[in-house]
Amino acid sequence: MRLVADSGLWSTGHQAAPTPLAAVLEVSGAVLSWTIDDSSTAAQITFTDPASADWLWRVFGESGHVALTAALDGRPPGAAVELIGVDVRPGSLEPLRRLALGHWLRRWWPASQRDGIAALDSALLDAEIAVLTAAAEDFFTDETFDSDVAALLRPHAAALSAHLQGGDPRVIELVRNCADLANDVGIAFGEADGVAQRRDDYALAAGPDAGRHGSSAIATGADSVIWGAVPPGVFDAAEKTVAWRIEAVDGVAKAVIRVELSGAGLAAGIAVRLRSDGLGGTGVLDVDGVAAFPIVDQEQRPVAESAAWDHDWRSTAVTIGADRNELVESPQMRERVRDFARTRLHRQAPDTFLAEVLAAESDY
Amino acid sequence: MSAGFEVATAIAVSQPRRAVIDRAWRAIGPGVEVLSGDDGGPLRRTVKRIIDPLVLRLRANAQYSAPFVHADVAVAMHDLIVGHDAQLRSAAAWFELLKRERRRLRITTGNAQELYFPACFELAVTKGAPAQRDDGAAEAVLLEIHGDRDRTAIEVLNQYVADPAVVAGLTDQLRQSWSDVRAGPEITGPFLAGLTTVLGPAESHSAAAARQRVWSALIADAAPYNLGAKAHSAEAELPWSITELGLSSVEPQRPPAVVGGADSERPLNRSVVDRVRATLRRAMDRDELPDIPLLCAEEVDRVCAPWGLMAEDKQATLIAGIEIGACLAPLSESAVPRYDLASQIQARLRKEAYVLHARRYLADGGPMHPRQQQVIDDLAAFARPYLSRLWARLHGRDVWQEPCDDVDDVRALLEGVARSVSLDHRQRIKAMLELQVAG
Repeated sequence: MRLVADSGLWSTGHQAAPTPLAAVLEVSGAVLSWTIDDSSTAAQITFTDPASADWLWRVFGESGHVALTAALDGRPPGAAVELIGVDVRPGSLEPLRRLALGHWLRRWWPASQRDGIAALDSALLDAEIAVLTAAAEDFFTDETFDSDVAALLRPHAAALSAHLQGGDPRVIELVRNCADLANDVGIAFGEADGVAQRRDDYALAAGPDAGRHGSSAIATGADSVIWGAVPPGVFDAAEKTVAWRIEAVDGVAKAVIRVELSGAGLAAGIAVRLRSDGLGGTGVLDVDGVAAFPIVDQEQRPVAESAAWDHDWRSTAVTIGADRNELVESPQMRERVRDFARTRLHRQAPDTFLAEVLAAESDY
Repeated sequence: MSAGFEVATAIAVSQPRRAVIDRAWRAIGPGVEVLSGDDGGPLRRTVKRIIDPLVLRLRANAQYSAPFVHADVAVAMHDLIVGHDAQLRSAAAWFELLKRERRRLRITTGNAQELYFPACFELAVTKGAPAQRDDGAAEAVLLEIHGDRDRTAIEVLNQYVADPAVVAGLTDQLRQSWSDVRAGPEITGPFLAGLTTVLGPAESHSAAAARQRVWSALIADAAPYNLGAKAHSAEAELPWSITELGLSSVEPQRPPAVVGGADSERPLNRSVVDRVRATLRRAMDRDELPDIPLLCAEEVDRVCAPWGLMAEDKQATLIAGIEIGACLAPLSESAVPRYDLASQIQARLRKEAYVLHARRYLADGGPMHPRQQQVIDDLAAFARPYLSRLWARLHGRDVWQEPCDDVDDVRALLEGVARSVSLDHRQRIKAMLELQVAG
């Protein structure tokens, strides 16, 4: 195995794809990452603290653990180190890859009414991740970001109890497994607190045409949500779901933005920015995913209706959420994620989560 | 380059301690399933709460605590664990019983393994296996565990300081002690220069030994005391601002109140009683209930001491922490820390921030949701929570007179605090974004 320096840390080299195509898991002393749709590539293991990674022998064998620690002890990341005869034991990382994938599903699953990708039941997904986390506890010797079983289960106590009333034996088995675990970590199932209200009706979702009045639009267009700039569970994950429209109100130009919603999260308060060749404006979405704000020029002055008619709006770009200054997430990457999701829905694999199985079944 | 040679020698002499424990555990055979994972190895908390402290007794047997152990030590560990098989099987039986009782009593607070494992082993040693007929022992244990032992000590404290004469006495003592602390004439330059070695790299054994020597000299240096004493006086000549570092709300530092006081957020503003209360909360694991009047009187002298810490090694460690904390910026890609140790910590913090990006909790270019703004601002001012937490750890060590004289231990402390602050921040970010889904 070859160890290379990566941003001041030792790493096994196999660079995983960028977000949103990377599934990551933080264990004691290391961060593991995989490319979601490429199961042929090995995990990238980046050591944040080799000394606290006391699980290494499970993955590299005892002699591998000794060799790895000896090689990294006191050696600042620099020239590559070749460790002869030290390799990942086949299958030893599989439970962790599945766990990383589960965390990825929680955060990036591209649920979309428009694209026909059904949402995953968050309570069942988190329950399954909690069970897997408990099973992989040897890798979480220290407190880590991903070892908090209680935090996974706490919001779903009521929802999971409700699942026990349903008739699906697969669900009941999972929840039963989880109930014992929850009890151990101090969470009581059956209390009716904080049941996430699912927005099952997609009635609020509007088409890309923001024209509520249908008239007096100076310009209209559509843009896409950059997933990495917004929280999950709020917006429909399809492309071109951000409809913008420039209209004139009382002689000045105004932007109306409408974003398609999907999921239980709230859009209210999320920032919106419109830029168009020297003109622009900012606002925040309301609970329906709509924002309206005045267009201003570079000196922050209002733009007259006549000037708005003269402006070439073809370069208009609208961003939702964080203002990402570099385009690190391309539409092609998002399409790859959708392909991955569709594949998972259509073909069950050993690493399929119950929430995915149910989503696939609900699809028909 | 190849590490092949050192690998070959390392294999011959040592084994990962966790693997040794795992093997011994499996040799016990059936009867300990509730203390084991699905794969038959011991649970993480079985190791942490039973094997390490109660079977291997690491405090008394330091040789068992090394991450890698020699073959003879491995054999000794193995024999010790397997030799406790009867007690471990009994402890497992007690745990099953306690879990049943926990359900019956509808107790849901706390982590059952964390709380009950040591008690189970203690029961196994003192009583053997649980009685066939329920004799109420399990219920008594649970009620004791969940009876909030620490609250009793805090009650005693509250009663003690409810007496105005007590507070007046402590206030007099505080006034006197505060005026006793004065900076000496020694210069601070050499101390700060020495930190570059302490916080620097050591790639050889001799460099590591030199680092230890420098630290041993630094903790005997008057500079940390003098700097802390200067923070008390109006003409503060400090290289940093204690308000910017978040250690105090005012400059110069004012003597804190004995009880009450407006600001308990910043370490150096915290009242005497608040500090003693923190000590009592952290003392949960300790058997001896401290003598409250003595603890209060000691704490009065401690709040007056430079940096609110009595021992020179704690004061010196805080200064090292101030220097490290000032370099840390988890959200910055361009930060170039001036100390090697700070660079290492910064590299880890960056990787941890990457996990947030990869999980869609954090975006470049601002908050995804307005709820995140506060915690992003906090991350940008990392030194404040870092020093606040480091101070609390040092305060604990100061109270219990645990030394900070080992340079590797001090460096591990400086790293560990960064890790725990980062974890805390990241969990806040996570909670904030997930809150809105449930809300």
